[in-house]
Amino acid sequence: MRIVVCLKQIIDPELPATQFRIDAESKRQQSDNHPLVISPYDENALELALKLKEQTGGHVTLLSVGQPSAVSALRKGLAMGADEAALITDPAIEGSDAFGVATALARGIEKLGHADLVLCGCESGDWADRIVGPILAETLHIPCVTFIARLEKHNGGFLAHRVVEDGYELWEVVPPVLLTILSDETNTPRYPKVKDIMAASRKSIPTWSGADLDLDASRIGKAAVRAEVQELTVPTQESRCQLLEGEPEEQVAMLVARLRERKVI
Amino acid sequence: MVSFTPKTSVPFFAEIEMERFTGLDYYRVDELYTDEERLVRNTVRDFVDAEVLPIIEAHHRQGTFPLALIPRLGELGVLGANLQGYGCPGITEVAYGLIMQELERGDSGLRSFASVQGALVMFPIRAFGTEAQKIGWLPRLARGEKVGCFGLTEPDYGSDPGGMVTKAVRRGDHYILNGSKLWITNGTISDVAVVWARTDEGIRGFLVEKGMPGFTAREIEGKFSLRASVTSELIFQDCRIPRENLLPGTAQGLKAAFACLNQARYGIAWGAVGAAMTCYDVALKYAKTRVQFGRPIAGFQLVQQKLVYMLTEITKAQLLCLRLGQLKQAEHVHHTQVSLAKMNNVDKAREIARLAREILGAAGIVDEYPVIRHMLNLETLYTYEGTHDIHTLVLGQDITDLSAFA
Repeated sequence: MRIVVCLKQIIDPELPATQFRIDAESKRQQSDNHPLVISPYDENALELALKLKEQTGGHVTLLSVGQPSAVSALRKGLAMGADEAALITDPAIEGSDAFGVATALARGIEKLGHADLVLCGCESGDWADRIVGPILAETLHIPCVTFIARLEKHNGGFLAHRVVEDGYELWEVVPPVLLTILSDETNTPRYPKVKDIMAASRKSIPTWSGADLDLDASRIGKAAVRAEVQELTVPTQESRCQLLEGEPEEQVAMLVARLRERKVI
Repeated sequence: MVSFTPKTSVPFFAEIEMERFTGLDYYRVDELYTDEERLVRNTVRDFVDAEVLPIIEAHHRQGTFPLALIPRLGELGVLGANLQGYGCPGITEVAYGLIMQELERGDSGLRSFASVQGALVMFPIRAFGTEAQKIGWLPRLARGEKVGCFGLTEPDYGSDPGGMVTKAVRRGDHYILNGSKLWITNGTISDVAVVWARTDEGIRGFLVEKGMPGFTAREIEGKFSLRASVTSELIFQDCRIPRENLLPGTAQGLKAAFACLNQARYGIAWGAVGAAMTCYDVALKYAKTRVQFGRPIAGFQLVQQKLVYMLTEITKAQLLCLRLGQLKQAEHVHHTQVSLAKMNNVDKAREIARLAREILGAAGIVDEYPVIRHMLNLETLYTYEGTHDIHTLVLGQDITDLSAFA
């Protein structure tokens, strides 16, 4: 069974808000030499893939669309236990929207041959579009189930636990299928071991350009963007203090009323 | 209504702690590490954030070592990580240093554990042991299944270990060991002790195993520093050690013991940077949110002066460590260069911890913040593995050719 996990490298989303700056020109977060990490849900998807490989066997391939720096995200994935990785990188792809990225990923998967399972994080830790996975499935002409927390082997296929507001939906899925993964106690990413980090640094990671994948230039990059970001701002958080006047009993009554109003109690 | 001044309220610790440590790299030193070194560093950083920081204050308060972390460190592969073979990954010296930096950012007790295990137990077995000793101990020590300690210092011989009185006398197939060792990290939790003793042929190293008749260990109580670490006294009363437990490569005597200490000091030089980084990080965040006289205290010149001094010294120490690591990797390092880095980095980290404590004001004396813990730990670093003063004299001797020891 071939499992492909799509990984995105992003600026560490846990950076303090005070260090978040927006580039007015590109309407994106400034990189400012901030640490780069694997988008958190993508890491959950990888952990799920590795657990599946341990239980049922298989081959885990990592695929990323991004800057050349994304090689370090793929190396971490290899150190965690993935078998191979490839990076799709090309200045022409930069600035792509979800369609452009999904188009490039689909071509990458086709170049790999085939995939029984394609796993994506349910949303990226930066833009949180939540649509690269579904568009990729559409492009690959395979079914897609979103927001999967767990996956069990079942009747020659899998039973996928889909998180909904008040519980789980159980979906029987048969490969080939694309699943988008969210975090769960069963897919907390493992720490790579020192010896595996060393082994991963010796593996070669092929990089593919748009030309290598015969990407249609009209479907990728800034020119192909279908929805344009008009404005991007950092929300400001304000806290205010209101003093309740009167005797203690009145103050308590007012406080309780306010808390009820705001549905705190 | 009693007075109410919401603007000057102290931020809850949780607010600061919520912001994960994301590194301190003013001179973009990160670019000088390899991908592999950065990934090792980030892995240990994540591990410390998730597994160490949530529990360490409680251990420090109770004066206990987090034993449950030992197999986890073994699983990660950080114990003796710079050694080659016998279950050790043989990572670069810089990557090893970064591991020590991050462990100490958690707590010096944890870094000291790893330093002792790797540099003072696994290193001498690797460098001076027999094949059987290497095969028997190194893989299990690397996995954290077994714990080791290092017995050189004695109650009356600290900076002057050459005067040691612990004696090993040959009796047939055995040595009979008598004496005691003090201030021994990991002593009571160890399965094996690398013990240095005087013999007819000079000072030699021995592997003394837990349970050998005549060997006991006692934990030292009442510490105000390295509280989340086990510190012990080892006592040998007619302790019978099989001859095959002698480390045969220690024929050079104290020089062999110093070779081990040199490995450990290298790790301490990096560890001090980790402690300093976290003190600076906490002090900076605190100063930006703590409001006095209507504005954050970070806006006051005296506070800025302290913060800038901290940043400057940490940046210098980072560069010192990197270069030292490169020299060690190339096997071109002189022990006095290690002395300089240990001496400088611990001294500056100790100063930085105190400045951070000052910036935090009263909040600096409680364990709600990690600063006081590091400040106290650094007192130990200042003294162990060659005191600050002794390293100064080692360097003095190196540049003047005149010994000022005695």
